Amino acid sequence: MDGKVIFARTEMTDISVLPQRLFTRPHLFQVVAGEAMPRNITLGDGKVTIGRGSDCGMRLLSSDLSRKHATLERTRRGYLLSDLESRNGVFVNEVRIESALLRDGDTIQLGNMQIVYHEGS
Amino acid sequence: MPVLVRFWGVRGSIPTPGRATYRYGGNTACVELDVDGTTLVCDAGTGARELGVELMGRKGPLHVHWFFSHMHWDHIQGFPFFTPVYVPGHRFTIYGTRDGDTRFARLLSGQMRSAYFPVDFSELRGNIEAADLGPTMEREIDGVTVRCFEQHHPGLSYGYAFEKDGVKVVYSTDNEIDMMLRDPEQPLRDPGALRDVPADLVDFCRDAALLICDAQYRDEDYPMRVGWGHPRATTTVDLAIRAGVKQLALFHHDPMHSDEEVEELVAACRARAEAHGSDLFIFAAREGFTLRADLPHRPG
Ligand SMILES: [Zn+2]
Ligand SMILES: [Zn+2]
Repeated sequence: MDGKVIFARTEMTDISVLPQRLFTRPHLFQVVAGEAMPRNITLGDGKVTIGRGSDCGMRLLSSDLSRKHATLERTRRGYLLSDLESRNGVFVNEVRIESALLRDGDTIQLGNMQIVYHEGS
Repeated sequence: MPVLVRFWGVRGSIPTPGRATYRYGGNTACVELDVDGTTLVCDAGTGARELGVELMGRKGPLHVHWFFSHMHWDHIQGFPFFTPVYVPGHRFTIYGTRDGDTRFARLLSGQMRSAYFPVDFSELRGNIEAADLGPTMEREIDGVTVRCFEQHHPGLSYGYAFEKDGVKVVYSTDNEIDMMLRDPEQPLRDPGALRDVPADLVDFCRDAALLICDAQYRDEDYPMRVGWGHPRATTTVDLAIRAGVKQLALFHHDPMHSDEEVEELVAACRARAEAHGSDLFIFAAREGFTLRADLPHRPG
């Protein structure tokens, strides 16, 4: 081989000018029932407290939620939702959980609120 | 007093990674009970690897009490990949069944011979000891009463009941309950009728807050798999109804069943419980779920 080019250059779109959302969908909580609906909440990294208390990273104004009801933490295995000894529990697809690794389409119940988890990409 | 139950592996027979089993998980049998800080583990399928990762992050020297349904691959393969056994200072008690029964400890070491695995059992730095459950197959560990029950499976298997302060969790996998029915033809003749599950098995599961039970086959799967060691899920439901169980976790999911098929099976099982007027709550065991067996399982 004498180092000649064996693939041709083709016309390409400059991807840097396209909006970012075409390439990644964020991880979302979609509130589908309860006082705080309708609402989409974009999930980030780290760990947040969920509840009606003003010091919660994810504040949901629903009367039957505890002040600090649950936590949501991004782990290497996915989002981990944990009960914080709430008064009326955390349910994922109707199962009362102490904690659960969330998967796309899971329905979360906190008090009278229903939230669908959408896994991003 | 919290009774935590963590599902690390819920699949039967062989690991099933991939999209079709993403929600419920593809790792084989491994369930951890955390009773007031005492760690009791059932089986060491491939789910045990991830349990090992988690335990390495906990404080202080570990003492793991390990119980085995039997030694088929899907119940032991995670053991050589369970990191804490390589670390000095941690302690592992491997229980056999009756007096002097050290089979499980010996068989576990057998899968770590050089032809199967690069590290020899003797190189494990953790303190691994064999114990048994005594002549009555019942023993108390840190205030938790552990009972053992002989099941119907090729080469035998065992179920375990763990109880503390009236909260009972039963782990019963790889048990072909359909072979124990007094009338094995009944499910074909009258599929809807409550099946005649043996009384001693019912007693063993009696009033459990949580029954984790083999439910591998749909009714239509079973006739081709008689004698393979697993029950119809619907027969498992009947056992739970008769025993007055509060929550039933369908376990040992068939490697051929996708997440959707597991959910269809749950729906069929729920419909059956409802038809029998039972308020038993049924769900599919799922990797990454932790439950508290000592709390009520319904809102309010
Ligand atoms: Zn098995
Ligand atoms: Zn088996």
